[in-house]
Amino acid sequence: MTEKASIHKQLDWKKAKVIVAGVDIGAVNSKALILLDGQPYASSHVKTLIPKESAFGTINAISDKTGLKLENIHSIVATGIGRSQVPFAEKTVSEIACAAAGAVNIWGPSVRTVLDLGGQSCKIIHCTDRGRVNDFLWNDKCAAGLGRSMESFADLVQKDIDEIGNIALQSEELLRLSDFCSVFALSEVLDSKINRVPEEQVIAGYHHAVAMRISTLVARIGLKTDLVIIGGLARNPAIIKWLEEILGVRRLAPKPAWDSTLTVALGAAMFADSFHRRR
Amino acid sequence: MKKVKIQAGLDAGHINTKAVIMNGREVMGYGNAPTGFDIVGAAQSALNNAMENTGVSLEDLEGVVATGIFKDIIDSPSLKVTGTVPEFKSGAKGALFLNRDSRTIIDIGGNVHKAVSYDQNGDLLDVVQNDKCADGLGIYYTTMAKALGLNEQGLTKLALKSTKKLSVAIQCGLSAETDAIDLMCQGEEIADVAAAVLRYIAERVADMSTYLSLTKEVVVAGGIARSQVIIKHISELLNQDISVIEPPEYVGAIGAVISEEEE
Repeated sequence: MTEKASIHKQLDWKKAKVIVAGVDIGAVNSKALILLDGQPYASSHVKTLIPKESAFGTINAISDKTGLKLENIHSIVATGIGRSQVPFAEKTVSEIACAAAGAVNIWGPSVRTVLDLGGQSCKIIHCTDRGRVNDFLWNDKCAAGLGRSMESFADLVQKDIDEIGNIALQSEELLRLSDFCSVFALSEVLDSKINRVPEEQVIAGYHHAVAMRISTLVARIGLKTDLVIIGGLARNPAIIKWLEEILGVRRLAPKPAWDSTLTVALGAAMFADSFHRRR
Repeated sequence: MKKVKIQAGLDAGHINTKAVIMNGREVMGYGNAPTGFDIVGAAQSALNNAMENTGVSLEDLEGVVATGIFKDIIDSPSLKVTGTVPEFKSGAKGALFLNRDSRTIIDIGGNVHKAVSYDQNGDLLDVVQNDKCADGLGIYYTTMAKALGLNEQGLTKLALKSTKKLSVAIQCGLSAETDAIDLMCQGEEIADVAAAVLRYIAERVADMSTYLSLTKEVVVAGGIARSQVIIKHISELLNQDISVIEPPEYVGAIGAVISEEEE
């Protein structure tokens, strides 16, 4: 998947009073979400290569399907690590604030911790019932790129990124791997083949190591319930299962109709909406 | 005089498995396959690939000599493996065979890189391998090319257009990856980021190589050696002429057969 857009067919942007967009330029994927009078209308995912081009790519993917153009949008907020590279954004807001606002909008006021497992960074955010940030913790440098490393790992063992979590769960045993550094862990994965460790044990071991690594970050700031997990790794069932086991907490279930990777873009669009209304 | 026989060399590496078919000391042709998890299967396809490319059948093969990290795993009669050779030895023998004047080989693999110096007979004098933090340079090279939407040759081509010196981490590939992505997100030119990625790889290799007294001539092996930008940087950092051995991917496989020949 390099580019995809989905549209809410019952809504028509030509009839909307307020059209706003949130654009989230992540390290691996760029996302955009359009709100029509506060209602999610269209969204897109584009691989982030050159951030500026990917930013235009997210809007173009939506334009192609709806005819909605940049000039029709009243207000745009950019977020994510590449937020400074969105020339058409009116404002930028940190992905921390956007994640909290978006998560409370989707999961409701009981949310107190948002765990955002992105491609490049892993953030733990404590928030209020209104989606305001109380405190947050960013990963240390050695835990950077956990999401992207999962893609490299999937390539190494030649599995599909969407399937690999299920393969991990099929194993009854798991190989213990370094859970501090993913360079070490990947190297241990390659060496494990010398000892003929079964493939699924290695895959399970890698997932467990990643879950351990995330849990040590969570422990540093503490966990308040309810917990919501978003970001690309939130779709990986093995990461979620072991993370819940290690933390001793169940997350709020994903919403069937909501793609959790759009949560930060939703938060950005909400900020755009309130900026526009305050004008 | 020994009777000339047709043999294959199989170099089962962390990431790629390389095969060569040789008639005595003459190279007939090559084949390769990604190693993956089915190591024996990969060895089989690399070998089949090489046999197809040369028109040699399994019956014509006197035997297969194995080297590389997974040499013991592919050591099976079904593959006709008749012997195994350690990597430092196949590297040295292969490099000396391909370049009579070489005395040091720097081999940059998918997961490990090492340097070996040897005498005029290809016998080991000294060897050094990377520390664990610098594991995976080859993987890093491929990952970064993919992250920037390019292939490996594309990365090098683009780096040649760089006009501004940027740098990524000085130690580990993980932070180098993070740094490269951060630079892109700060709006730096992709060519400058590509150049920084390649300089990082060269610095890691050069760092390791300084632990060895680099006897001339110095040659570089491994698929990464095809990047002229990396080679140029290594040469500058070591303040030494270095050359790429042709073909850089198959030095180990060739060296395995040569070692066996000389037994």
